Amino acid sequence: MDIVVCVKPVPEPETRLRVAPDGRTLDTEGVKFVLAGYDESAVEQALLLKEATPGSTVHVVSCGPAPRTEEVLRASIALGCDKATWVEAPALLASDPIRAAGAISAVLRGASHDLVLCGKQAGDDEAGVFAAALGELLGAPDLGYVVDLRWDAGAQRFRFQRVTEAGVERWEAPTPLVVGLQQAWNDPRTAKLPNILKSRKAAIARVPADAAVVGHASEAEKFELPAPRTGAKMIEYKTPEEAAQRLVRILREEAKVLP
Amino acid sequence: MPDFSLSPEQESLRDMARKFARTEMAPHAAECDKTARFPEEIYRKAYELGLMNLNVPTDYGGSGLTLFDQCLIVEELAYACGGMTTSVIANCLALEPILLGGTPEQKERFLKPFCAEYQFASFCLTEPSGGSDAGSLRTRATKEGDHYLLSGEKCFITNAPHASLFTVFATVDSALRHRGITAFVVPRSAAGVIPGKDEEKMGHRASSTSTVRFEDVRVPASDRLGEDGEGFSLAMRTLDMTRTPIGALATGIAQAALDHAAAYSLKRQSFGKLISEHQAIQIKLANMAQAVHAARLLTWHAAWTIDRGAKGTLESSIAKCFASDAALHVADEAIQTFGGYGYMKEYPVEKLLRDAKLTQIYEGANEIQRSVIARELLRAYA
Repeated sequence: MDIVVCVKPVPEPETRLRVAPDGRTLDTEGVKFVLAGYDESAVEQALLLKEATPGSTVHVVSCGPAPRTEEVLRASIALGCDKATWVEAPALLASDPIRAAGAISAVLRGASHDLVLCGKQAGDDEAGVFAAALGELLGAPDLGYVVDLRWDAGAQRFRFQRVTEAGVERWEAPTPLVVGLQQAWNDPRTAKLPNILKSRKAAIARVPADAAVVGHASEAEKFELPAPRTGAKMIEYKTPEEAAQRLVRILREEAKVLP
Repeated sequence: MPDFSLSPEQESLRDMARKFARTEMAPHAAECDKTARFPEEIYRKAYELGLMNLNVPTDYGGSGLTLFDQCLIVEELAYACGGMTTSVIANCLALEPILLGGTPEQKERFLKPFCAEYQFASFCLTEPSGGSDAGSLRTRATKEGDHYLLSGEKCFITNAPHASLFTVFATVDSALRHRGITAFVVPRSAAGVIPGKDEEKMGHRASSTSTVRFEDVRVPASDRLGEDGEGFSLAMRTLDMTRTPIGALATGIAQAALDHAAAYSLKRQSFGKLISEHQAIQIKLANMAQAVHAARLLTWHAAWTIDRGAKGTLESSIAKCFASDAALHVADEAIQTFGGYGYMKEYPVEKLLRDAKLTQIYEGANEIQRSVIARELLRAYA
């Protein structure tokens, strides 16, 4: 089975984000980019399927600028992906999920794929648009919030579940299929040290983003950090009655929310 | 032009070790410290990820890392737990004599099957009557035809209760002092190899330490490393290679102490403001940061020196000695920053002090490091 995983380099979750001077982008100076949890789960799903289905390959694809895109591709190879394609694109293009899906679909049309796995949403903007856009562009069914995807070789169909607020849905679908994976349901593996070393030397195919997709879809107009919250006020008290009295007085006299 | 930046490869190795340390080791550090539990499930995972036999070339099934890259990993692991790190890297110490003194046939025979599975090896040099004075060791190796009989007792042997392989230093003639010492590889399965019970330790409590008694253990001459009398030099060359990672281990403990203290100073208030706004605490944190930074750079420099093919005795002694003193001092200051809370076991910093203490003692006590530093230094002036 030819499995494709799409991954996106996103800032490390602990990053303290700064808005760039243009007010429309983030200052990425010194920011470390990593695979997001959603994408780690997608890679893990791909590897589990590969291990369960002899003769499968996992092809990891990412769209974006150097060096962050190359780094997440190498991280995916270290985890066990067989080959990688870097769709070279400026950060602004890659940050737009529709255009990123356009750039990646152009590559996938020429590459065999029975299944395309993505995180259900990106780890940075959490847009949740990419998988649906890619499915649309490839003319394949697409579904999000997926967990536990298996291949039924006898029936030649995928069987999987979708986790929704209403409960768990059971699905089946033929190839080709595009899915967005739920995060952390499958305890993504850690890359082994020898595989990390090998991944540094692995070949990565480099393809410039299709000129046709360098159009306009959506762009961030303005980034603003939320105003710092003013400190909470601790009420000093000796008894609960005293605490309640003081709270009522503050709500009435200072906050003026009680009559 | 010297270059202090890490390559992308080094960053990814460090990131992997950091992830393992913070997600697999750190959550169990306090519990293993409290109960002195040897967390096999964590060590097994470390082995599976390639974190255990870092110095063994890939041809023999190890990770084949440079000393510099080993140090990057060891610092990250020690940040989460010094004791677990000691047990994870003890194989590097135990196997180094085979790497340095083994014939190609011995390396093939000992290292390959050893590295192919999750198992521990222990380095047996120290004895109850002498650690630093290694030349005076008493374990005897009596030659009888094509084999030796080993008898004697070793102590403070890391991982010994769990080890399947031992590198053992014994004397063929105690009158010869250093020149009588000879090294052997001894499997746990040999008759007469008797590890003692786990010692109760002040720190590094997730690690395991015991005596090992050798009662007329029959060792084939083909399992001797080098010739009779070459063991002392082999032990010293081994320690030249493994001393630097102890600097990295100490640096990891020190960095953890600094991080805890800095984060706490931004939460704790006294006299109406955060303690980080008091100059007394600022000076403390600034001094701690200098010590951590210097410890790391000295360790990196020693590793870089040795990776370039130099012996690095002076550099590695400076790194180990400075970093371990720094770790104790920084952990002490972290406790002081926490005040009374720092003295409580509920908070993480008192463990760091107990773990840091050992780094001043093992793999060459700091008194020995200073005498080595002085000897190397004075040689340049003589």
